[in-house]
Amino acid sequence: MNTSAHPVAPEEVMAFLDGELSITEAEAISEHVKRCSECAGLAEQFHGTSASLSRWSVPIAPGIVEDAVEELTGKESSGEKIGKANIFIRASFWSWKQWTLWIGATTVGLAVLFAAAGSLDNRDAVHRDRLVRNVGRAGAPQSESDAYGTVGKLETGRNVISGQAGFNTSTEFAVGGTGPAPPVAGKVDSLVSVQAPMIARTVTLTAVTKDFAASRALLEAILARRHGYAAQMNVNTPENAPRSLQASLRIPTAELASAVGDLKALGRVENEAQSGEEVSQQHADLVARLKNSRETEQRLQAILTQRTGKMSDVLEVEQEIARVRGEIEGMEAEQKNLEHRVDFATVNLQLTEEYKAQLVAPTASVSTRMHNAIVAGLQNVSEMVLAIVLFFFEEGPTMLFLLAIFLPPLWIVWARYRRAMATV
Amino acid sequence: MNETPRKTEKEAQASPLSDEQLMAAFVKGSHAAFGELFSRYKQPLFGFFRRRAADAAHAEELTQETFLAILRGASRYEACALFRTYLYAIGFKILRAHRRRAAFRLAFLGKVPDYREAAVQDAAEAGLLIRQAVAKLGAIDREVLLLREFEELSYAEIAVVLRLPLNTVRSRLFRARTALHDLLAAPAGKQPVAELTESEEHV
Repeated sequence: MNTSAHPVAPEEVMAFLDGELSITEAEAISEHVKRCSECAGLAEQFHGTSASLSRWSVPIAPGIVEDAVEELTGKESSGEKIGKANIFIRASFWSWKQWTLWIGATTVGLAVLFAAAGSLDNRDAVHRDRLVRNVGRAGAPQSESDAYGTVGKLETGRNVISGQAGFNTSTEFAVGGTGPAPPVAGKVDSLVSVQAPMIARTVTLTAVTKDFAASRALLEAILARRHGYAAQMNVNTPENAPRSLQASLRIPTAELASAVGDLKALGRVENEAQSGEEVSQQHADLVARLKNSRETEQRLQAILTQRTGKMSDVLEVEQEIARVRGEIEGMEAEQKNLEHRVDFATVNLQLTEEYKAQLVAPTASVSTRMHNAIVAGLQNVSEMVLAIVLFFFEEGPTMLFLLAIFLPPLWIVWARYRRAMATV
Repeated sequence: MNETPRKTEKEAQASPLSDEQLMAAFVKGSHAAFGELFSRYKQPLFGFFRRRAADAAHAEELTQETFLAILRGASRYEACALFRTYLYAIGFKILRAHRRRAAFRLAFLGKVPDYREAAVQDAAEAGLLIRQAVAKLGAIDREVLLLREFEELSYAEIAVVLRLPLNTVRSRLFRARTALHDLLAAPAGKQPVAELTESEEHV
């Protein structure tokens, strides 16, 4: 249909025939249709199509529909539930009651899930506690490793309680054996109760002071009096903000209690926490390994001095000695560190000044701050764009790979559904 | 004294209430008003579904579902649109849900819809040709045409039912009518318009 240079669009003729135009528009079109043969033909065509469609008749609605709806009306008014239809209504028109029920059920489900997860965590914690307690207990040796553990505690005893020569000898004998030595183990067992466990103590103190400088001087004095030292110390003195001090102090374990008492006098204590880590087992294990390594070294030395052989064999033994020596030195350092941790307790001190804010004139003018804000804003935008681009570069290949895997089956399912949709 | 109520009854019968008035009465609890609405729209709504569903049994079921939805949703009815528009909008929603269910069953469960009657169930052969021609139209075009020709909805009402802009309704209707004319004129020929609008299937 050629609509070019035609004053009335064909759609308007159709709207006129459907009675969709205002009276004035309808009159104008009516006049036009009378004169224009093309539009008259179009109107005729529309009438023809409508007439054809009217031949598509539908049978009378069966009485069963009426009966069914009447029955439903009766049930509805009597408040009875309507079986199958309910399913549909739930799907399309959820009432607030159904929403509430659904949300409630979901919340309860999630709560149960979280509670279950929480109880699992607790069980883990209890298990861990039990393990720690077992490790800490100095019971009778049950296995080879336990025997070493007990022996280790005796070594500890040598460090803590000095002047027990006979006891030391027996300990060395026990360690010298390759396996657990029953007669000595019995002797060891009887001595266990005497030994104190090795505990590395840590105290955390948070305090607020009014006079920062005086508190700091006092801290130095306390350290000197209690024979301690500061392993690490940070002092912050920012402008317009409270000054603060973080320090990691080492105090001899014997003087810890009195030193902590002194430190509490630095200011108002906000938080205090004490903990002790039992390292007896760790220490014992270390000592046993050290002993073994030393013996190995001695045997190697003996091989080197007593036997003669090829140059390459000698070199190999030399290398082995060097390796064992290295191990021994590492373990000795570790042992010293462990013992030091036991002898010197750690005090983590956080000291903050009680600060009174002072009225300070703003450092930057409004225009400067505005400028800075704009610059920061632009920077944020550019960083975000960069982050998005980087994300796509980083995750893009993975996403493409996943799409390549999942898209074809999904597409097949979707195409199948669409084909079915077209046929129903 | 006794004659006065009878007169009013007769008057009421003589000047029937509008659909909207009946619906308002039903919302207030009058089951008789619902009965009246049902008898008015039973046949048109059955026709609406019969022309769109695969068989008469489905059409019956969907008609029932629609009236039931009206019944249950009466408290949420707002008299801002014509009752007719409201009814067909609900009917359309129910039809779509039914189509989705049927398509799902067909696609994934392999259940072929149970056609209790053959496609050639109307006596007139001309009716069959018309149905075949209409089936070849695009989904939206077909719906617009059927709503206009059989349900006799205005353009604005069709726009509300199908949630389309008014101008789209007009242009779709024009396209559908022209295409149908072409299809009926040359039934064995190609169907260019149907292919053109095949992609629109949300209706």
